[in-house]
Amino acid sequence: MGFEKFGRFGYVSQTKINPLLSYLEKGQIAATRCKKCGRSYFPPRADCLDCRHSAIEWVVLDGKSNLISFTNVFFAPPAFQPETPYLLGLAELTNGLRVFAPISPAVDKDQLKPGLELSLKVAKGSGDNVYYTLE
Amino acid sequence: MGRIGIIGVGHTKFGKRSDASLRELAFEAYSSALDDADMDSSKIDGSVVCSATHYDKQRSPAGVVAEYLGLNPQPTFNVEAACASSAVGLRTAWALVSSKLHDVMAVVGVQKMTELSSEEIQELMGRAGDVMWESPFGTTMPAYYAMYATAHMAKYGTTEEQMALVTVKNRKYGSKNPNAMFQKPITAEEVLKSRPVSAPLKLFDCCANADGAACLIIANAEKAKKLTDRPVWVAGLGLASSPMSLAGRKGPLTSFDVTKNAAKAAYQMAGVAPSDIDVAEIHDSFSITEILNYEDLGFAKPGSGTRLLERGETELGGKIPVNIDGGLISKGHPVGATGASQLFALTKQLRGEAGSTQVDGAQIGLAQNIGGIGMYSAVTILKA
Repeated sequence: MGFEKFGRFGYVSQTKINPLLSYLEKGQIAATRCKKCGRSYFPPRADCLDCRHSAIEWVVLDGKSNLISFTNVFFAPPAFQPETPYLLGLAELTNGLRVFAPISPAVDKDQLKPGLELSLKVAKGSGDNVYYTLE
Repeated sequence: MGRIGIIGVGHTKFGKRSDASLRELAFEAYSSALDDADMDSSKIDGSVVCSATHYDKQRSPAGVVAEYLGLNPQPTFNVEAACASSAVGLRTAWALVSSKLHDVMAVVGVQKMTELSSEEIQELMGRAGDVMWESPFGTTMPAYYAMYATAHMAKYGTTEEQMALVTVKNRKYGSKNPNAMFQKPITAEEVLKSRPVSAPLKLFDCCANADGAACLIIANAEKAKKLTDRPVWVAGLGLASSPMSLAGRKGPLTSFDVTKNAAKAAYQMAGVAPSDIDVAEIHDSFSITEILNYEDLGFAKPGSGTRLLERGETELGGKIPVNIDGGLISKGHPVGATGASQLFALTKQLRGEAGSTQVDGAQIGLAQNIGGIGMYSAVTILKA
């Protein structure tokens, strides 16, 4: 198995950032950081944009985040249609990086608004899929 | 650098064209562009075929399109930039003609979407975003634009009622366009009561998949003047890119930097300002997109795009008529053909041939075409 385990329904199986899955399986969410210049990336990147260095280290995130925007999806791709409606959101993490993630159904959608504090948490999907959600 | 002129334009009926294949749609648009230019194929020394090829049953469609148009052995190739394919196709052909590698080229935008099953379309739609980090959560094209709408509503107080005004305006003008997929006006109430697609966007906030083609024939200044007495000149070409992932973008999601950057380049090249534009065709894939585009193109200040609508300033007779051919919301959105369709409408306006929707004395027109979820945006300025 490869990276297709990431998400509720993964499309890409092969990548250099597979270690993210091990962190998720341990209940942690991790970003990458360039060992040379220290720039951080989330979603994780295997290659530094600034210095083109590819030696990276993993840094566990605290998950604190602020919601930027969201939508409630009613019309979905086939693999997701049975679960409609579902919420998707964009949030900013404490390190200034951003995350696109589902918003947990446990969150009251009427409370959602830009600026709302949420927490990025590990979630398990069907089979052995792992990902993260905002809750 | 010599000027490049549009010397002929053609357009098919857009919509569910179960009567025609991709190559036949391309032929309809190409043939009517030749008629419009009053010329035959012999002077066309190359073709640029523009489509979002993942929708096409035919792999590498430039091959069959050039064959069916009778444009062998001249060079041909595909240009793909999702919904902005044919705006980028014009940019490509402009560079080829400017470089003197070519003299007269056909830019053919074409898309055949309705023969795909809704399963196939939905599957393709599911991969419209960043396939590694965002598609695995069930993203859709409307979902991305809906998130811009949510942010704009929260920051500026924009309402669903105001967004509905875009659809009402564009469908009103679509009723006057015989090439449009939807030729019936619609009320704000019908828009507001339509079923939710991705909140706050509802069915009638969204454009529809369609089949269709549009064609532009362009030439260098010398040939253009020889071949026609009514060339329309390409005055400004702006194209920019943005991160494809939403997480990679900056700011509060209330505007598209990609459009601001493309607009700046186009205004600078054409030597004009937003207030100089007489008529505009702007990307209304969703109602909210038109409102954001007003602001990103400099027609309105940030947050005040809705006021243009409420005051009727983007209606025929207003300060800056926008999408008075009906826009994507009325015409349908055959992805690869949309950019050329916008430029078809502007060319007709600048020649004074737009009939009942003619903007009096239109001299400068602007077309703006977003690709995909906003990773590309093209702004093209034409002058009579």
